[in-house]
Formats: sequence, C-alpha cells, structure tokens
Amino acid sequence: MSPEAEQMITHIRELIRRPGIAIDENTPLVTSGLIDSMALVDLLLKLEDLTHLRIPAGKVQAKDMNTVALMFATAQRVGRPRK
Amino acid sequence: MGSLVGHKNSRAEYNWRLTPFANLIGALEAAPGDRPFVTAWIDEDEQETVTFAEFRRRARAHAAILTRKGVTAGDRVIILMPQSIAAMTAFVGAMMLGAAPAFLAYPNFKIEAAKYRSGLEGVTSNLEAKVVVLDEGFPEEMLEYILLQGEAAVFRLDELTDSSAQARELAAVAGNSLAFLQHSAGTTGLQKGVALTHAAVLRQIQHLAGALHLDGSKDKIYSWLPLYHDMGLIACFMLPMVCHVPVVMQSPLDWVMHPETMLQIISENRCTLAWLPNFAFQFLARRTPAERRGRYDFSSLRGLINCSEPVRAASAAEFQRAFSVPGSVLQSSYAMAENVFAVTQSVLDGGSAPACVWADAQQFRNCHRVVPVAADATNAMQFISSGRLLPNHQVRIVSEQGATLEQGWVGEILIQSDCLFQGYYNRPDLTAAAIVDGWYRTGDLGFVLSDELYVVGRKKDLLIVGGENIYPQDIEELAGTHPAVHDGRVVAMGVYDPQLGTEEIVVVAELESEELLGSGERIESEIRSCVVSGMGVAVRKILLKPPKWIVKSTAGKPARSATRDKLLREHPELNREREGEDT
Repeated sequence: MSPEAEQMITHIRELIRRPGIAIDENTPLVTSGLIDSMALVDLLLKLEDLTHLRIPAGKVQAKDMNTVALMFATAQRVGRPRK
Repeated sequence: MGSLVGHKNSRAEYNWRLTPFANLIGALEAAPGDRPFVTAWIDEDEQETVTFAEFRRRARAHAAILTRKGVTAGDRVIILMPQSIAAMTAFVGAMMLGAAPAFLAYPNFKIEAAKYRSGLEGVTSNLEAKVVVLDEGFPEEMLEYILLQGEAAVFRLDELTDSSAQARELAAVAGNSLAFLQHSAGTTGLQKGVALTHAAVLRQIQHLAGALHLDGSKDKIYSWLPLYHDMGLIACFMLPMVCHVPVVMQSPLDWVMHPETMLQIISENRCTLAWLPNFAFQFLARRTPAERRGRYDFSSLRGLINCSEPVRAASAAEFQRAFSVPGSVLQSSYAMAENVFAVTQSVLDGGSAPACVWADAQQFRNCHRVVPVAADATNAMQFISSGRLLPNHQVRIVSEQGATLEQGWVGEILIQSDCLFQGYYNRPDLTAAAIVDGWYRTGDLGFVLSDELYVVGRKKDLLIVGGENIYPQDIEELAGTHPAVHDGRVVAMGVYDPQLGTEEIVVVAELESEELLGSGERIESEIRSCVVSGMGVAVRKILLKPPKWIVKSTAGKPARSATRDKLLREHPELNREREGEDT
C-alpha cells in the first residue's frame, strides 16, 4: 500500500471514530454506510492534498469514492496536475 | 395598509428596454456578436469563454440535433448535464425550436442516491418530455429512473462534435408560448415544474434590469448558482442573455469544495454583480483564512445580492467584517421561481445598505407585530429589508384568516404581478392551492414598513410556543455562538407536546469534536442559558451530536426537515403525535 493510501486510511479512521472497524484499501465505505455523502467533500479535499491533483468534483460520483483504492484510481482518472 | 403596490413601469425611469423582442431568442439574436457571454471557470488553468456569436452558433447546432431527435414546438426537453456551456446551449437550442426545456439537478456524490432517484422518477414522469439530453458521463445505473412515455428518447450529447449541424429556419416562437420550466429545490418541490412564458420572463427581466441599472457594456455577473434554481437560471443566465451582459460561472460543487475561488474570480474578472443565498455570506467568511482575505479586490462590485433565504443581519455583518466591503455592496432581494424571479430589489448604487429596522422582540413574538425601538433598547431585534417592489408588482400581507393586515403586522406574503407563472406543469391541483383569487400564496411570512418588504421566515417552519411565534433561525443563531458548536450546525424545531397543548423547542447541535460530548451537560446548560437570555424562551431539550450528524442540503447548510426526520427516528420518545405536521 502506498504511503498516501495509508494516510488516507488514517484520516478516515479519525473521521468515522469507530475503533472496532478495520479499514483497508478495499473496505466499502459509502455502500456500507460507514461514511455519509457529506463527508465525501472532506475526503475529496484530502485526496487532492495527498495526490497534489485538482479533482473536478462534478466528475465524481459517490461510487467512485467507495473504497480507498477507488479514490486513488478516480484521482488518476479525472485529476489534473496543480500548478 | 400592509399591502404594497409597485409603481407602473414608467418609460422615463429606465434607460434599458426589451420591448422590441418578441421572445427570449430575439433578445439573444440582438446581442453584439463579439461581446463575451459565458466564461466557464474550471480552475486557474482552465477557463473557456464564448462570445454571444459563438453561443448562438452552438445553440443553433444543438437545435439541429434536437430537431433530428424529433423535437418540435410545444415539446418538453429535459437537460440532465453538469453545469457547463454545453448545457446552456442545449437549453437555448430547445427554446429556438419553440420547445420548453427544463434543467434538472445532475447527480453528484453529495446527493443521497435514493432521494435523487425518487426525485428523478417523479419529475420525468410529470413532464412527459420528448427527449432527455444527457452528457456522456451520466451514470448508467441512473438511467432506469428516467421515466419516459411513448416515443420519448434519451440521448447523450457529446461536446458538440457535430459542428456540421446547421439549423434550418427556426420556428417563430410566440411570446405567450411556454419558454421553459423551472423547478424549485427540495424533494417535494421537484414535482413542481413552474411553467413560464417568454412574455412573462421578458417582463421580469425588464423590471429587474431597470432596478439594477444593468448595463451590458459595463456589468459582469459572477455565479456558482445551479442552473436548475431560479437564481442561477434567471439572474445568472436569462438576465445576462437578454441584456447582453457577460457572466463568469463555476459549478456549485467546485464552489462548495473551494469557496474562496469565488473571491478570486470576482477579483480577477472585475465582476460587478453576484447573487448569493444568506448562508453563503457566513460560509465565505468562515472558510477564508484571515491572512488571505486581503488578497482580493472587491472594488468592482456594485452588489452582492442576498436572496432566496430570509436576510440575516448577523450574516451580512460577519461578511463585512471579514472582507471590509462597504455596506452598500451587500444588497437584498426577495425572489421565487413562481414569479420568474424577483419580487423586490433593494436600491443599488445609492451608497447605502438595505433599509433595516430594530423592533421590540416581545411584540414581534407575542403579537406578530413590528414596533420600532431604538437599536440599543432591551429586547431589540434587527430586520433587514428585502427592498422595494419591482414595477407592476403588488404584495398583500394576510393573517391566518386571510384578512389583509396593516403595515408593521406580520403575516403571509401574497403577490400579484405581470410576470406570475401560469401554473405548475401538469399539476392543476397544486396550482389551485397556490394561486387563490389571482394572488400567489408564497408560504413566506413577512411585513411591510415604509414601502419596504421584510421577509422573516417560512410559514411552515414557524414554532408556536405558548402563543409566542418563534423563528427557528433566531434560536439557531444564538445556539451557534457557543464555541463547542460546529459553525452553523444547529437545527431548532418544534415538537408538539399533547399534554401541554403546545409546541416545545428542541435543539440539535453538532459539536466540534466527539470528545466534547464528555462535557455535554455543561455545554447544554450554557446553550440553554444563552437562548433564555437572548430570547426569553426556554428550550425543552438540547441534543448534542458528534460531527457530521446533522443532515445537510446539497449546498452544505443544515436541512431542517431531513434533520428532524432523522432526530425523530433516533429519539422516538420525542415524537409524541405532532399535530399539524407540515405538508
């Protein structure tokens, strides 16, 4: 797992505050109800920080953010380098 | 009397006129071709500007594509595309054929999927559209929720690859024919397609352009407002199209993610006008770090117009403190889709902020009456005016029993004008309930004072506690000042207590962090005493919740009714038969 993915997982753990739940790159987050759609704004901003990409929010659907692995794939697909 | 009559439109008063135009397309055709019309601002590195000539060319090409899909005059065309120039030219392309287009909200990661799907089913089945235009990215799994009839078709409009498409002679569109349908926000509102004619929209734009002293050669509009909402569609698309004003636009989602970009765009593009809902003023002040506020230059701004929610003095003051803009820039308007857009507009370029009044809070709550007092009087509360009526508009303030009230008494706002809607599309039942004896019942509460209209809240949100009229926003504002409460994340609501025979106030507040729940008792009692000392009313129950608990609207502000539903689900003990539940 990349250091960025690890940082994202740490961030998600802090966000959901459910210590009993293990989260890895492939844990469903949205479909399982672990995070709600509003928290995705926060995750998308974090993803921009970690990837140094600008991610056009309009091109992202909730399913694109369902797992940490999908988040990084989405960033690669729609993100653009930032100045 | 509490009724207001806007003056008749006098020719001498306005230097701008659109009477030569038979329809909206005629106004677009008359625009100077080389003037920039829409700039789509994606980020610092990606922006696209089209001139009026290029916009017309693309709209005609879209009209040609729609013709090939079988669209003719009188059809409905649904546009389900992200905020973009292509969505706008498709909309105008449909109007060129005499069809009535409607923008619907595009699915995004913030809208709860189930809610979106049911809204989409409801609205598509009601509109009976001939075609539904999608962009290439519209999610496959949503397609089954677009309900179609007969020969209707769904198709994806690629970014105008078909440049060869040339429109034939365009239909002559009569002024009294349907121009488009605009949908008010909210899930129930989705069923309400407000039907507007070309003539009504042109009349509204004439009144509004006059009130704003709009000048296409000098003004430039900024907008992040969604095109499916009246502020985005009328103030930031139809108004500039008809009056030939450039507009710089970004998507609502990009703005919510990076609110500060709005300040950058206004500053760099020297924009002169923008419309914002009340919450955005606070949101911008809180989301822009103090050390960066000085970078932006707002000297080009003539008006940031607070519209679509009751205007709160505290929000305007917070914005003004944060960005040191003159008070005269922060203006106000009262608007609704059913009247095309604006009913009132405060005075721009007059060097002053909208009128305001300090009134006795006790009289306001107990008697629904506004008795002016000195600003420093005990119990004084401030109201900001939404401005004066546009020409050919009338307002009546009525009591619960329908009697017209005197100036200074609070009641429901009824309006009449020469740009009122025809009705809700396909919904004569809803239309009959909304328009009574030629007056549109807005469902908003307000009062008239010295020829100004003040809007104080939604009738259905009002809490009546022991005979006092309590506006949830007042309680939310006080509770929100507690340092442990996350910015703006407070919802106040009334819960009916059958034993007391009255509503009691329940407040739900989101804390900055979960750890603070440990000090819940102390925080609760501090909020309680803050509300008692600020308003003199007792809160029955305060429920403190961890971050992210409150249900928010797509714009990021607390969604009152959805939050109440969630609270009553989690706390069934509160749900003791609430009579008169809003409908």
